Amino acid sequence: MIDVQDLTKQYAGRTAVDRLTFQVEPGQIVGFLGPNGAGKSTTMRILSGFMPPTSGRATVNGHDVFHESIAVRKSIGYMPEMAPLYTDMRVKEYLRFRAELKGLSGRAMRHRVGEVMELLAVTDVRRRLIGHLSKGFRQRVALADALLHKPPLLILDEPTNGLDPVQIRQVRELLLSLKPAHTILLSTHILQEVEAICDRVLMIHHGRILANETPDKLTRGLRAASVVQIEIQAKGDDILTKLEALPNVRKATQDAEENGWRLITLRVEARQDVREALMDLVLKQNWKLRELHRQLPSLEDVFVELAAADRAK
Amino acid sequence: MRLFWVLFKKELRAFFVSPVAYVVLALIMVLSGYSFRAALSILERGPSEGSIVQWMFQPNWFWLSYFFTFPLLTMRLFAEEKKMGTFETLFTTPVHTWQVVLSKYFASVFVYAVLWLPSYFNFHLVDWITAGQVAIPPGSLKGSYLILLAMGLFNLSIGCLASSLTSNQIIAAVVSFSVSLLHFLGGLFIMVLGRKVSETFVDITSYFASMEHIRTFTSGLIDTRPLVYYTSLSVLFLVFTHQVLEFRRWKP
Repeated sequence: MIDVQDLTKQYAGRTAVDRLTFQVEPGQIVGFLGPNGAGKSTTMRILSGFMPPTSGRATVNGHDVFHESIAVRKSIGYMPEMAPLYTDMRVKEYLRFRAELKGLSGRAMRHRVGEVMELLAVTDVRRRLIGHLSKGFRQRVALADALLHKPPLLILDEPTNGLDPVQIRQVRELLLSLKPAHTILLSTHILQEVEAICDRVLMIHHGRILANETPDKLTRGLRAASVVQIEIQAKGDDILTKLEALPNVRKATQDAEENGWRLITLRVEARQDVREALMDLVLKQNWKLRELHRQLPSLEDVFVELAAADRAK
Repeated sequence: MRLFWVLFKKELRAFFVSPVAYVVLALIMVLSGYSFRAALSILERGPSEGSIVQWMFQPNWFWLSYFFTFPLLTMRLFAEEKKMGTFETLFTTPVHTWQVVLSKYFASVFVYAVLWLPSYFNFHLVDWITAGQVAIPPGSLKGSYLILLAMGLFNLSIGCLASSLTSNQIIAAVVSFSVSLLHFLGGLFIMVLGRKVSETFVDITSYFASMEHIRTFTSGLIDTRPLVYYTSLSVLFLVFTHQVLEFRRWKP
């Protein structure tokens, strides 16, 4: 669906996107993950035909984004960051205008506008001025707009930005329901979002791809140390030393103590699970244990690690 | 063509939903109303040379204030879209840049034309009230509105270009106002200098001396040279506008 080869975009003296190469298969939901300024929006703008790359090539649905811009625009539904809309128009009026721009007309157009308004739950505000709507509604109107012409590819720049938790869940469910018929490329800086809906993650930093994986592999395959938290009741001063003596435990620190219960954090070597050995130790020492919890590396850890590896290269 | 109409309708709507059209309409009605009253007062003085149409359209001050309309009509055309980010949503739909440029331009031309309608009815009103006693030469009347339209096409295209250059409406307004006014004053200035500079120089400047064109047209003479001058420059400025907007797609 999307084929990007050596895509580079330079702004005056700054490289926003640096030799990006990736493919997106039809029917997939691909998450574009990275901090602000990583080049996500720039890449999406290039793919939507809004601006050209400095060098490299990108095709969408078999059409070159630069030379066959109109054909590309017909096959994508693009929602820019911040969901820009005409604030002096009413919701239904705006969607009708957009539908006509995208080639729908007459009864089919009116029908489709009604359909997407239902889908995004904006029917109740259809007569309100967009300028008077809350951020959540605006975001959904913009999303409705992107869906109007049933494009095979949706390019959504931070689609859940500014929504409340309930709305975020609704949008995610909506995107999942679109999946068989639509390919979706969405950008986000929220890891849970990627875990919840994406088939693949493209992690990008300083305009370069750091990882192109399934979300599972991305967090599991990391070298970053994971963290185990335990809460135990034990006597003696050498508890921390005993814990650190366990294989693969890097460091044990006591975070708090309350009524004899100690909250201890263990930093563990990458890709190692110490929970069983830990349990054995607890039983052997006759300690009381009331919590044992493993934290997987966070997006931040993933990021720091990948960025560091990138710098080392 | 279908897309042109879709965009044209939306632009027209934007004019009449926002206060812009009404502010400009009020401005023009005050302006032309005052001019009209001044022209009528000349009638009271008894027999004099010229016609009511000439007295209305020939005073310089009428034309000076006339240039306030163009920035107001054109400043938001592209600048607003850029500011609000809708520029991006607009140009990621399957529309051609020329469709956008033409629809916005002709919407402003349409509004401009509508704004002058009340003043046109003034003449018919006088004709009706005085039962045809006041001479309103039809050629003179047609010529006046023709040159108004031609100058409008030209100045609106300047405004269109100015608006495409920036995302700030104030800057767009200042640029279009300055360029329109300088063009007008340039012609006026040379005409005043007239006899002090060489004949050829005056001949050349008569091509862009708007006040000269206005005198010719309000007296009922239809000269095709100014019409060609204004329309061809309008086309040129619209092509520039198109290029400015397309530049985004070409710049490396």
